[in-house]
Amino acid sequence: MNSHVSDAVFRRGRLLLWGGFLALAFALPLAFKSGFLVSLLCQIGIMVVFALSYNMLLGQTGLLSFGHAVYYGMGAFITMHMLNIIGKDGSPLTTALLPLVGGLAGMLAGVVLGYVTTKKAGTTFAMISLGIGELVAACALMFPGFFGGEGGVSGNRVVGKGDLLGFTWGPQVEMYGLIVAWAFLATVAMFALTQTPLGRMANAVRDNPERAEFVGYDTQRVRYLMLILSGFFAGVAGSLTAINYEIVTSETLNAHTSGVVLLMTFVGGIGFFYGPIIGAILITVMQIVVGGMTHAWLLYFGLFFLFMVLMAPGGIASVIAIQRNLWMAGLFGRMVPHYLAVALPVLVLLAGLVGLIEMSYALLAGEGVGAGDTATKVMKMELHLNTPGPWLAAVGVTAVGMALTRWIGGRTRAAWNAALSTLHGDKA
Amino acid sequence: MTAPAIRISGLKKNFGASEIIRGVDLDIHRGERHAIIGPNGAGKSTLFHLISARLPVTAGAIELKGENVIGLKPFEINRKGLSRSFQITNIFHNLSVFENLRCAVLWSLGYRYSFWHRLAGLADARLRAEAVMEDIGLANRRDTPAGILSYAEQRALEIGITIASGADVILLDEPTAGMSRSETDDAVALIRRVTEGKTLVMVEHDMGVVFGLADRISVLVYGQIIATDAPAAIRCNAAVQEAYLGTSMNVGNEHE
Repeated sequence: MNSHVSDAVFRRGRLLLWGGFLALAFALPLAFKSGFLVSLLCQIGIMVVFALSYNMLLGQTGLLSFGHAVYYGMGAFITMHMLNIIGKDGSPLTTALLPLVGGLAGMLAGVVLGYVTTKKAGTTFAMISLGIGELVAACALMFPGFFGGEGGVSGNRVVGKGDLLGFTWGPQVEMYGLIVAWAFLATVAMFALTQTPLGRMANAVRDNPERAEFVGYDTQRVRYLMLILSGFFAGVAGSLTAINYEIVTSETLNAHTSGVVLLMTFVGGIGFFYGPIIGAILITVMQIVVGGMTHAWLLYFGLFFLFMVLMAPGGIASVIAIQRNLWMAGLFGRMVPHYLAVALPVLVLLAGLVGLIEMSYALLAGEGVGAGDTATKVMKMELHLNTPGPWLAAVGVTAVGMALTRWIGGRTRAAWNAALSTLHGDKA
Repeated sequence: MTAPAIRISGLKKNFGASEIIRGVDLDIHRGERHAIIGPNGAGKSTLFHLISARLPVTAGAIELKGENVIGLKPFEINRKGLSRSFQITNIFHNLSVFENLRCAVLWSLGYRYSFWHRLAGLADARLRAEAVMEDIGLANRRDTPAGILSYAEQRALEIGITIASGADVILLDEPTAGMSRSETDDAVALIRRVTEGKTLVMVEHDMGVVFGLADRISVLVYGQIIATDAPAAIRCNAAVQEAYLGTSMNVGNEHE
């Protein structure tokens, strides 16, 4: 009965956590009255739902999909067409309910396409999902009537007359409220799903499909159902993106979008429910903030992804989980000085690398120094790329950073390993 | 008269040109503990794979409680009340001991693919999983991920998952393989306890286990059953002794 008590406490803690996040989500735009921040938060809300829906496949069922944007895109296109069909007869209420329609569209796409893709798991599934993704992306260009060709389909989210409790969804901040509401509902629903028989059997199928068959479950059916439900939530996310941007292009359902959601989910951590939330927030911020500062942001993104795969394959969530375990065991305090010690050389290394990348990029991309390019902004200095000075400086800083990182990093690693072995020793 | 738990007739299995099972006829009576022994490579595990539909049958018939089961999928056979364990531990590595067992009982309790039931609210699934956990002696490992259990604990969990659904025909593939003497004794006691009133078929190399547990023994040699009889009779069977040339049937403790 002990477990029940702790269950109850845990549940209250969980409620607090949910409530806290919801309050924070609503408070942020009120605290900082910035249009940029609201737009950024809108995109984050949408991506959180999309990444969580993707992790229903990757993390929970063990299905690596390269075509998840198909369900997202179908939700977006159907929503946009619905919005245009409703047109003048619509109301803010119907607009607010459109994500449900988008979800059903994603779900229907899941019913049709998932029937083919989920026949097999593993590499076969990954390949078929890639094929289907390409197929649908090709269709998007072949049927401009539905997909709008190169220009996409656009609409206006403020349709009809009147308002819903004062909301018309016209101002971005109202749109943000709608996104938060849907994202919250979808997140709660997706979390609840992990606590059901289907959700648990999806984990079982991920771990060991053969054994799942021998306890009475049709693994193909489990995969199919999970894909359909995942398609629903991807469709909700796609629908929100359609209403938010009032335009949907074929980019919404192509391989690039599928790739981004995979990276978000993976970077955040597929082994934890909240992992994709972290990944969606981080990557979206990187995309928009770093993307606004430098043209080379995709390169940084690639480097960051490489770093994560090599250093923390469990994603950010797993790093957090380990820190939490260290904290619980009273070992976190002894690691803090090491973290701080290694942070400095890493920053030096990063500064050197950023300098090199920015200067190379400016030179190769043919953009003049000071022509709004970022090397000068980031480092607050005017650089002449045709002289060896800046290059030598950047190489020097990089080399020093690398040497220091290796030296101090080695000691941090040793301390880290010692802390981990103490941690596991305590457990055993 | 009720049909036997399992009736196998004329069963054959080829892998390419090689015949692994070459015409097996065997009745497993209801409620008996039946051991299948034989030298390495005789086809014991293959026979299990055929009965449980892990491998497709080349020719012949298999009836489970009077019902033809040829062509069914593993999960369909499982739903008809046949459950099996594996020679190589086959558990859900990332799930806890408790979750492993709960997964094993969900279908038999009728929860199917439900995404509208809350697992925490399913008292019957929890109680059954906890009862099995108690039975296999892993109650103190409830929340441990199955992947980091000791070998003997994983073998016990393997048996637990197999029996949890309440299937009445149990197939155990070398349940004591790789265990120490004392672990084997515990496993035998466990198997005896949890298969009470059920039909048990097991493949086993440890003759101590076989002669201690089995009501009847079948000897499989080169894909054919050369004898099926009570343990005492098997011990004096000339053909069996020839097949086990040079091996003492009394204390034989064969390992692969």
